This record gives sequence, structure tokens and C-alpha cells, in this order.
Amino acid sequence: MKKYLLATAALAMAVSINHGVQAQAMAKPGEALDMVLLPKFLGILPFDQAHQGAQEAAKELENPTPLQFLGPTPENSVAGQIEITTNATTQGVAAIMISNNSGDQIVPAAKAAQEKGIAVVTWDSPIPSAEGEDVFVAQVDFSETGVVMADMALSILGEDGGKFAILSASPDAANQNAWNAAMKEALKGEKYAKLELLDTVYGNDQSEESYNQALALVDKYPDMELIMAPTSVGIVAAAKAMQDEDLCDTVKTSGLGVPSEMLAYTMNGCAPEFALWSFVDLGYLTYQTAYAIATGALKAEEGASFKAGRMGEYTITKDPTRDAGLRILMGPFSVYDKDNVEAAAK
Amino acid sequence: MSALGRLKSWEGLLLALLVIIVAVNIEHSPYYLGVGNIVNLFQLSIEKIIVALIMTLVIINGEIDLSVASVMGLAACVLAWLFEMGTPMPLAIVGGLLAGLAAGLFNGFWVAYVGLPSLAVTLAGLIGYRGIARILVEDHPIGNFPEWFNLVGQQPLIGPVTVSIVIFALLFVIIAITLHSSALGRLVYVIGNNLQAARYSGIRVRLVKMTLFGASGTIAALAGILYAARLGSVRGDMAAGFELDIITIVLLGGVSIFGGSGNLAGVGLSILVILNLRNGMGLASITGNTQTSVIGALLILSVLVPNMAQTISNKWNGRET
Amino acid sequence: MNWLQRYVRPEQVRELSLLLLIIVAVIVFGSMIDNYYTSRTFNRIASSVAIITIVAVGQTLVVLTRNIDLSVGSIVGCTAYFTGTLLAQNNDLHPLLVVLAAVALGSVLGAINGVFVAWGRVPSIIVTLGTLAIYRGLLVDLSGAKTVTTDSLPSWLVDLPRVNLFAIGEFDFRAMFMLALMIVIIFQVGTSFLALGRRLYAIGSNPDAAKLIGLPIKRLVFLTFVLSGALSGLAGFVTLARFGNITVEAGRGLELEVVAAVVVGGVNIFGGSGTIMGAMLGAIMIGILEQSLFRLQISEFWRDALLGLLILLAVASDAVILQRLRSLWARADLKFIAKPPDDGPAPERRAPP
Repeated sequence: MKKYLLATAALAMAVSINHGVQAQAMAKPGEALDMVLLPKFLGILPFDQAHQGAQEAAKELENPTPLQFLGPTPENSVAGQIEITTNATTQGVAAIMISNNSGDQIVPAAKAAQEKGIAVVTWDSPIPSAEGEDVFVAQVDFSETGVVMADMALSILGEDGGKFAILSASPDAANQNAWNAAMKEALKGEKYAKLELLDTVYGNDQSEESYNQALALVDKYPDMELIMAPTSVGIVAAAKAMQDEDLCDTVKTSGLGVPSEMLAYTMNGCAPEFALWSFVDLGYLTYQTAYAIATGALKAEEGASFKAGRMGEYTITKDPTRDAGLRILMGPFSVYDKDNVEAAAK
Repeated sequence: MSALGRLKSWEGLLLALLVIIVAVNIEHSPYYLGVGNIVNLFQLSIEKIIVALIMTLVIINGEIDLSVASVMGLAACVLAWLFEMGTPMPLAIVGGLLAGLAAGLFNGFWVAYVGLPSLAVTLAGLIGYRGIARILVEDHPIGNFPEWFNLVGQQPLIGPVTVSIVIFALLFVIIAITLHSSALGRLVYVIGNNLQAARYSGIRVRLVKMTLFGASGTIAALAGILYAARLGSVRGDMAAGFELDIITIVLLGGVSIFGGSGNLAGVGLSILVILNLRNGMGLASITGNTQTSVIGALLILSVLVPNMAQTISNKWNGRET
Repeated sequence: MNWLQRYVRPEQVRELSLLLLIIVAVIVFGSMIDNYYTSRTFNRIASSVAIITIVAVGQTLVVLTRNIDLSVGSIVGCTAYFTGTLLAQNNDLHPLLVVLAAVALGSVLGAINGVFVAWGRVPSIIVTLGTLAIYRGLLVDLSGAKTVTTDSLPSWLVDLPRVNLFAIGEFDFRAMFMLALMIVIIFQVGTSFLALGRRLYAIGSNPDAAKLIGLPIKRLVFLTFVLSGALSGLAGFVTLARFGNITVEAGRGLELEVVAAVVVGGVNIFGGSGTIMGAMLGAIMIGILEQSLFRLQISEFWRDALLGLLILLAVASDAVILQRLRSLWARADLKFIAKPPDDGPAPERRAPP
């Protein structure tokens, strides 16, 4: 894991140094650009944090036009995202930043936006086919997510390994599916030979269903020792279920979660380790990227690099986790445990 | 107030609402009157309003079909599944439509012949049909349909008007004629008004109900396929949750949930009111829960205000309500 | 049998047919799932139906009067969230006060529905479709996307789902399940024996007649919405305790599950017939189906299709058993009264209002 991290870091640095010298772009602050930040839906913490980050960047770049934070309701996420993208196109905004929840279904709307000269930047979750998208701001490397999850499983279960199951969000969430696939891929490595994946179930990002699914896993697989939930809703529901059934000693919970929501479970040992990235930084970097592209300071092509305010320099590369498309890699993961979760939860 | 007068005033109210909304939109957004925007306004909700047309008949008949959104998803998934197995696209489309028809008739059978409440049957359908769709595509989206299929959903056909909008217009005319000047339409009202009486007077209640549920399934399937064409790819959760929006449109159109009353003109106006309101709010950057809240408030107020006005005018005239 | 037929009507034993189906379901699943007949299965199902059952009791009251309350999911979400926020800020609030706050908030939201339906004469489906969106919208706007987190809640609340009132052998009777059971018993007795309860049936089966005999229809309908809101508020409190982390998403989509429980429980959606017990059995039936499907060794993707089919089968067999019972009784009654012509199913339909 460390080796892998180092290698990617070195690679990223090498690339950025190469291009950084001649082609490093800096967006000129102060341009009035109408920009839309479009989360999967409104009302949950991670997207709100991304909004904060984007606002911070907007302030730094002195964009006099206020940032629009528009999102659909959760039950209408797909149709709502398409509708908002289409309306933003009609209004002729300068940039749309999408955390895509609609898979390739958003392609026609995103293409229409591009045709009108609008910068389309995805973040958090990309357009799988990359059609209609300028660049994807990736929070972490999606194949690395699999490795991080496998590492956490190994660290919790110990050298002897053990059996575990995945509690995912919905079967339609493209990033979840990519992470699960990456984890299965990582498990093929010799290091993880003693980890056995029993099952993948879905809680559809609803507390009740995730809670019940977690308990059902316990009943179905009496020798299961870990539930891996790469979703912030699933991981807390699973941890609470194990706590309510006094199972925390035998079945641990891990995955991707928000520190403030996980604090209690990490401290009492139900979920000793979990990971996440900073959504504030992700929002910040996304806004910087979209602003630079919309002003023309940055071209969305392989090898182009630019300075993203306080976060430093980034370079656009091919996205190795998709068949096509470009990405900017933010990274790295923060892995939380007893020692650092309290500080992060504030 | 006579039933007719009440209906007239209902449509009058919707028309007044529509005028206000359109005026505010024009005042508020320079983009609203653009041809592209007007087409988008329909296109973005076209599948819902197509299904709302047939839902009107089902509700007037005294039943409800909660499974429509799942049938939309099912038809799209059947189409995608057949296509992936190498079936030519036209056949896959027929397959999708047949799946919708079968789902509709299956609902109809339990309602008309076994006598179960349609709410229960179609609630089971809402879960079950979605489940079948899920079995077909599991967790992988299916796309890369032939170019012509995507064009049907995305490109204009006549001037700026798309195929879906033409289909909607045709269906509107067909269903209006069926409901308001055909024998079947009269039966729909009679059964919705008084099932018992309809039965005693020898009306073939079962046949009418089977027809309506079959049509509901087929048209929902058609809408689902158009949705697949518009989006260019199919997932298991397609159109999930659309049923509440569809029913909201029909109810705002003045159709009684208990059956027997309402007409297609009201539903047509209700479609225009809701679509223009949504579009106006979208252009004013009002989205998400605020948007649904405004529509919810409109739904309540549109019934409440006339009721209050009537109460007050009755008091004024010194009559008891 | 004759004696039985004289004193018991099919409608009075209607819950028995559902009970029979539940037993059949348990036997069938028991033969397919290892270790099914354990206390664990019982505990799972018992705690998973608690929330739905509490809300379904209120829904039944509303449905009896020929109305419907689709806003319950949003009310549960609002009360869970706002009670959670209140409690997070005042950790030493007395538990009873917390429950009261949840019930009070629920009642207020229910009362708003009730005023529109009873005095505004707006059909309940329109009012509650509207407030379904409005209450959720308020919650999202007022919350500022913050989450109520477990660590901010007092430990008595977080531990509540684990509290056992008593246990028979391995079978735990947990506080929340017992709370739901208690609510069911109270309201079952109330609707069966109190004049107030019987009046709800009168309004639902024939509103015109109910008006003629001078029942205060408006006040009674208003009352059912307040009760539905209050019980949803209580369910909101249970939701808070059960999940600990409450986002603005809490309770979303609950209305359909509750309506499903009520309908499977044999409550006539057009008012006038059905019981609180029935609604609870409906919730339990669905709970058993869901929980058991989770444990079957089948693909994740088959679960919903089977659930839909099984719900349909449950409703259909229930109807068939009842019909049989009715014709059995009708044959016995033939001596006294003429049987109405039977040329179609579901003769007990309503006239339009």
C-alpha cells in the first residue's frame, strides 16, 4: 500500500515537473463567471462540505458572480440532474460541476452543454464513458480505493485474515461499483490471500435497509468477521446494528465514512478503522479546475497543468480507471482510527 | 354549484394560474420564451406526462396504478436486455412494449377477476416489476444503442419538435376522443361513479378494467422506451419514483381520486401549469426540495382557495354550507 | 358450527386468515433457511416492524374515515431530526420530555393536515401529497445539511434499542417492540369498544348517513390526522433511537411501506372496515417476507421481484379465504335473508362521495 502510494505520488510528481516548467497555467482572478455546482442531491454533509470548499475557491478567485449550488431531491436524482444541467445550458452559464449520479444517462445533456461552450467538470463520480465531460476531478484513485479497503480489512482482521462482506449503496452507483470491482481486483494479490469476500449486498443508501442488510449478513454468514461499507450511510447503519446486537466484538465494521458521524463507533471499537478524503478540498479543487478551464487558462487535455490556489499544482492525465477520459487526481486517502478521528470530527 | 359549474371553474382556475406563471416566467427570465427552452420544458418531463394521460382514465374509472414507474423501468430493461443478447432493435422495442402490456394485464387480472383492490395489486407491482427489471440488468448499465434509436429520443423531428412530443400530442387526442366521445369513455365514467350500479346494468366491468390496465401498462412501457432513447442508456433504477409526480399531475387536473369525475382538458392544463412552473423555477435556480415544496403548496392551495371563496360567498349570501 | 356461525361474523375473524398466512409463511421459510426457528429470527422481525407498526396504527385510523395520510414519512423524518437536534443540545433533558416533544411536533404537523382536510375541505390525498413535499422541504432547508450524530446523543437513547423489557427463554421482548405492541392494544381496544372509535367506522362506511345522525365528522377527521401525526412523531423518536445518525433523509419513502402494511392487513382503503390488529399483522407479514428474503441464499437482484410476488399472493389468498368464509356463512344465513346476487368480485365497494 505504501509502496503503491509512493509510486503514484512519484509518477504524479514526475508528470507535473515535466510539464510544470513550460506550460503551467494560472487562471486570472476576478472574472465574472456564472458557475453551477451540482451535487448528487441536496441535504447531506459531504456535498455541503464540497460547497464550502468551492465557495472558498470562488472567494480567492474573486469571482463576482455568486456560485450556484443547485441539486435535485434524492428520489429524483437522475431526472433532476439532467433537468438542472439542461436549464443551466439554457441560461448559458460558464461552467457546470457535476457529481454525477446518472451514469451515462447524463451524456446527452452534458454534450449539449459542451456544444454551447460550457465547461463540464465532474467530481466525486465521473461520467463512465467520459462523453460530454471535459475532465474528472477524482478525489482518490479509484483502483487505490480497492487497495485501501483491502488494507483496512487486513489490518482489522489481522494476519490470519478472515471472512467479510461488502454492504454497498445502490447497484446503480457508478463510483461504488468501481470501488467494489477494484477491491475484488486487489484481493487477488498474494498479500490478501487469507481474506475471503462472502457476498455483496445493497442498502440503497437508506438507513433502515442498510441496518437490516447488515443484520441479515450476520445471520446468513455466522463466521463473518467484518462488514465493509464503502458508503457513508451504510457504514454508520452497519456499525449501529452491530452495537445494538452486542456484536461489536465479533463483527467489525469498516469502509468509507464521515469522521463526525463515525466518531462514537471508532472510539468504542465497533468500527476501528475507516477512510475518507476531504470533501472541502475536493470542492475547492473542482472549482479551481472549472474556473481555469472556463477562463481558457487551462485546456482540458492530457499533460496540461495548472496551479490550484492553496492546494498547489495539478496536472491533467489520462484516467487509467476508465476506458476513456481525463482526470485530475486529488488524493490521498485519510485513514481514521482512534488516534485521529476526534480531531477530524470537529 | 352544479357539477358542471364546478368543473368549469376548476379549469378556469388552472387557466388563470397558467397565465400568471407564464407572465412571471417571461418577466423573470430572458431565456424562457426561447424555442429551445419551450421544447426542453416538455422534453424534460415528456415521459411523465405521457403516462399521466392514461393514468387519468384509470383514476376516473375508480382505480389507481402505482406500478407505472416500475413498468417504465421494466420495459426499458427488457429492451436493453434483449438488445444486449443480440436482438435487432425494432424487435427489442416490441419486446419492451409486450412486457408492459403483460404487466398491465397481470395487474388487471387481479383487480378485475380476483377482485383485489388496485392499490394493493399495483403496490405489489411497484416492488415486483422493479425487481424483474433489476434481475435483467443487475448492476451494469446497458447503452451503446443504435444511433437512430438515440436520435429518436434526442433529435427534433418536425422543426424543433421531437418524436416524443408528437407521440404525446397524438395520445392526447386519442385519449380525449376515447374518454369524451366514445362508448368506452362513457363506461369509464359510469363504472367510476358507481361500480355496483354499472354491474347491475350489465356493463362488462371486467373487460373495461382489463382494457384500461392493459393500456396503462403499454403506454407506460412506451414512455419507458422513449426515456431510454432520450437518455441513451438503461439502468435498473430508471424512472423510479415517477408515480407520485404522475399522480400529482392528474389530481391537480381536477380528477377525483374516488373516480367518476374529471376530464382530460383539466389534466392538460395541469400539465402546462406544473411544467411551466418547474421550468420557471429551474431558470430562476430554484431546485431540489424547495421546488417540490412549492408544487406541494400549489396543490393544496389550488383546492383550498376556491373552497374558502365558496364558503365566504355562501356566508355572504346568508346560506348554510 | 351453527352456533359459531350465529355469533361470529366473517369480518370479526378476518385477522385469523392473515394469521394463518403468516404461519404458512413461517413454515415455508423455515424449511428453506437454516437456523430459521431461533430467537434471533424472532428478534430481528420484532424490532424491524416496530416503526412501521406504530405509524400504521395512525394510518389505519385515518384510512377508516376514508382518508389517507401520505405525509407520515416526512413527519417521521422531521420529528427524528428536530428531536435529535434538541437532545444533542440539551443532553440531560428528561427522557419523558423528549418523547413528549417528538409526539407534540408530530401532532402539530398532523393537525396542519387535519385542518386542511376537515375545514378546508381539500381531499386528504392532495393535502398529504403536498405536505409530504413541504415537510421534507422544510427539514432540508432548516437543517442546513447537518447530521444528528450518535456521539452527540445521551447514552440512554443510543442504548434504547438494546433494552429488554423481559425475555421468555431466548426470545427478547425489547422495549421498542413492546411499545409498538402496547400502542396496537390501546388503539385496538379504543376502536372496538369506545363510541369514539366506532364513529370512525361509521364515517368511513357511510359519510352521508354519519352526517345525518349528527356525528361531528370534521372534528373526528381532524382528530385522526392529529393522532396519525402524533404516532408518526413517536415513530420519529424510535427512529432516532434506532439509527442514532439522522440525516434529512430519515423516513423517506416510509409512506408506501406503511400503506402496504395497512392494505395487506385488510384495511379497506375506501374506509369503513379493517382493524388496528389487521394493520399490525400486515406489517408483520411484510416484515417476515423482507427479513426472510434477506436470508435466503438467492441473488441480491431477485429479492424485490419475489417480495412483490409474495405480497400479491398474501393479499390474494387472504381475499380468497375470506370469500370462502363469507359464502360458508351466507349458506347458513340463507334461511333468514336472501343472498344478494353475486356477479362479480369485491361487492363491498363505495359510492363516490
